[in-house]
Amino acid sequence: MQIPFPSPADTSTSVVSPSIPGSSSDPAPRKLHPFVEMHVERSAFEDLERRVERNGSWDDWTLYQLALEAEEASLVTDFHALQCLALLPHFEPLPHQVDTARKVLHEMRGRAILADEVGLGKTIEAGLILKEYLIRGLVKKVLILVPASLVLQWVRELNSKFDIPAIAQRKTYMWDNDIVVASMDTAKRDPNRTILLDYEFDLIIVDEAHKLKNKRTGNYQFINELRKKYCLLLTATPVQNDLSELYNLITLLKPGQLGGEGDFAANFVADRRIPKNESKLHEALGQVMIRNRRSDGGVEFTKRIVTNVPLRLSPEEMALYQGVTDYVRKHATAEMGDLTSMLSLVTLQREVCSSRDAVFITLINLFKKTTEDSPLRARIWELVELIRSIKANTKAEKTMELVQQMNDKVIIFTEYRATQEYLLKFFKEHDITAVPYRGGMNRGKKDWMMDLFRRKAQVMIATEAGGEGINLQFCHHVINFDLPWNPMRVEQRIGRVHRLGQTDDVQIFNLCTLGTIEEHIVHLLHEKINMFELVIGELDDIIQHLEKEESLERRLAKMVLESTDGEQLRQRIDGLGDTLLATKNQIHRENKP
Amino acid sequence: MNTKQVHKFVTSYLDSMGCHFIEKSPSSVTVKLSPDADRALTNRPYYWSFVDRTGAEPETMTYRWSFENPSMADRAAASPISYVMTESGRIVQEDVYFGSRRLLQLFEASHQGGRCVTLFEEPLRGRSDPLGSQPYTAWLGVNFKVSYECDMKREELYGWGISLATGFIDEKFMETLKLKRLTPRLPSNVHILRNGISLRKGMSQLELTLERKLKNVDFTWAVEAEQRRQDELERIRLYYQPMLEAMTHEDQKAQKEEQTARYLQREAEIDWQYRPRVSMSVMNCGIFHLPGIH
Repeated sequence: MQIPFPSPADTSTSVVSPSIPGSSSDPAPRKLHPFVEMHVERSAFEDLERRVERNGSWDDWTLYQLALEAEEASLVTDFHALQCLALLPHFEPLPHQVDTARKVLHEMRGRAILADEVGLGKTIEAGLILKEYLIRGLVKKVLILVPASLVLQWVRELNSKFDIPAIAQRKTYMWDNDIVVASMDTAKRDPNRTILLDYEFDLIIVDEAHKLKNKRTGNYQFINELRKKYCLLLTATPVQNDLSELYNLITLLKPGQLGGEGDFAANFVADRRIPKNESKLHEALGQVMIRNRRSDGGVEFTKRIVTNVPLRLSPEEMALYQGVTDYVRKHATAEMGDLTSMLSLVTLQREVCSSRDAVFITLINLFKKTTEDSPLRARIWELVELIRSIKANTKAEKTMELVQQMNDKVIIFTEYRATQEYLLKFFKEHDITAVPYRGGMNRGKKDWMMDLFRRKAQVMIATEAGGEGINLQFCHHVINFDLPWNPMRVEQRIGRVHRLGQTDDVQIFNLCTLGTIEEHIVHLLHEKINMFELVIGELDDIIQHLEKEESLERRLAKMVLESTDGEQLRQRIDGLGDTLLATKNQIHRENKP
Repeated sequence: MNTKQVHKFVTSYLDSMGCHFIEKSPSSVTVKLSPDADRALTNRPYYWSFVDRTGAEPETMTYRWSFENPSMADRAAASPISYVMTESGRIVQEDVYFGSRRLLQLFEASHQGGRCVTLFEEPLRGRSDPLGSQPYTAWLGVNFKVSYECDMKREELYGWGISLATGFIDEKFMETLKLKRLTPRLPSNVHILRNGISLRKGMSQLELTLERKLKNVDFTWAVEAEQRRQDELERIRLYYQPMLEAMTHEDQKAQKEEQTARYLQREAEIDWQYRPRVSMSVMNCGIFHLPGIH
């Protein structure tokens, strides 16, 4: 006789099995100890009973043993030892990263601010902590909020370095996934916001967390409202302007760690930026924040070897440069007042230093913008005629020479798309394979180009260095075909190659045309502030200090326009260089305890 | 798990699922999956529902699994999925190492496929009396996983068994089982003793005995976790209470409610994070018929 067995759907209404306390888990947990309850989960046993009743089917003895073996292999036998290291055989984190992970797990109990200086691998520390929690089964549901431009980079890093199945959120239903990476802006917008507030997250990671410094912002309140067990906030600059920013960050993580708001101001703040009772503050901070510094040692970066390559323009190129400079001077006085169009004039001068192709396109655009009867048209046309007379590019030829000499992978950076196109063609004519890389490419194409560069091409010609990180540690030559005026962008360029994981010294070549504004810029960046050899990340601080009022690029452009001759320009740029130096020294002093 | 253990695990799994090995070496295997293994591993529910509905001849996947630890440089250079085309079809190449997702999936699959068994020990050949009948006792064998959890976690395994004839509990049951030759079929010339206790009773006996044992372990970890929980609760109390008490004005009512909600939420989070707890779960279990009377 067959006894009909209830399907899982209706077991809730008609439980036929005789009962020992509870079904698959106890409704009333048992006490093991005054503080400790025990829950029992026995669904596998209920499965056994069901199969006995139905007389089968039975599983395989080998699989039964393998299941146990798997369980033994992944068993968390110890409260403390880091298990994730054994599971990442292909990847060796640096000692300070492992220490940080340990400290967050065991001392900070999973709520921490990771505030390493730039370039020390905060992402890796967060990855280790996440991995360890996942292995231990303490974390399942994870939300990772990062700037939009870093979403894919995070996903890839977690996938490839840590074997963590993270996905980038694109559609609403994707929030259901266990490990989701999304941008803060997306997450805090409805309907996403409402959906997320309903979840309970085992772990939330926020990258670039200094954006949470103001507690009145939507970002701050959103993170504050989310339900979370563990929480990691990542930032290289925990304090930018004001100590209260730090207070807010910590309160988000652990309210009361620094006392109430009034207590904090009274106990620890002397002035907006100057703390008092420093040792006490440090102690309180040390319980929630870890800041590794490059100066702590332990992290060895390879050397940067910088070579300036001075060049003399051919007479035809020089004639064009003079022509354009004349045009810019005259025109600038005419447009006095309209800063934006003045700045675009300076661009013309910079472009001549790069390639005739670059300046040609800009001139044509200028030509199109002028009215038909404008007297400017004739002037512009004269310049275009000058371009025609140029047959060779001095810089490109020098670059070719360098590339052939080094006979190794090299990345060439230029500011201008037209120069990039020209160089691609130029290299092709000389039988050197080069691939382009630029900001406008979609992710897939970028990846493809990187791949081609890694495997096939000797040369990559890039117009973009920042944004989504391209990591090219396998390459150790950089040629700056022309230089951006913003030192941060120069740093980003070099940072693609010279970063953690680079095993060789990095050779950097700056092409510099004599007798042009380029010479001044190279002088400023290289000789004056010696930026190419600054410690990674140091530049951040200097520029941030300096750019409070006006961006460096704009300052430079103004100087170019306002100077009557080369000598005066040189003096003013020197003046700017001195300011930068002073800022650098000031920061050095501040950082010394 | 080292490379060798991973190799052994993977090949035993594939073997027991009836997969066909095309190549087998210490550093890698190439294998054409059996339909069962394909269903368990390839994540192709639509394909399999198509096969089930139409009765089409299934085409299973072929993998080449390499057991060497790949270096980070190799991994960065390799695309996430790579495959080679051969005359017999496409072979997907993957690295399988301790920590890789594929091995994790195999762990999970073995867990699903090795949940409940009923087995008999094979009698020693030639020793049995062809006319007599050997008595067998039924045992309930259960593998328990016990986890101790607060803001940290630790786990233990217990492979215990209880004789359903007498209620005798063997704490080394799984270890001894591993040495025996077991078969799913009832051997000849064997009779099974009548059970003295029911399966349910056996199970609750095992649970209670284990519970008694667990009550006697060291609870320092729990006392410390509880202390941390209390400290944390006190910390946020000192933060929120004065703030809430200061909000006496009528205009601050909404604000007060909001802050109260935050306070309760933070309390719940601290509880979730620190409260010490133990869970005992049955990983897999089975009925084992072994010779002798216990």
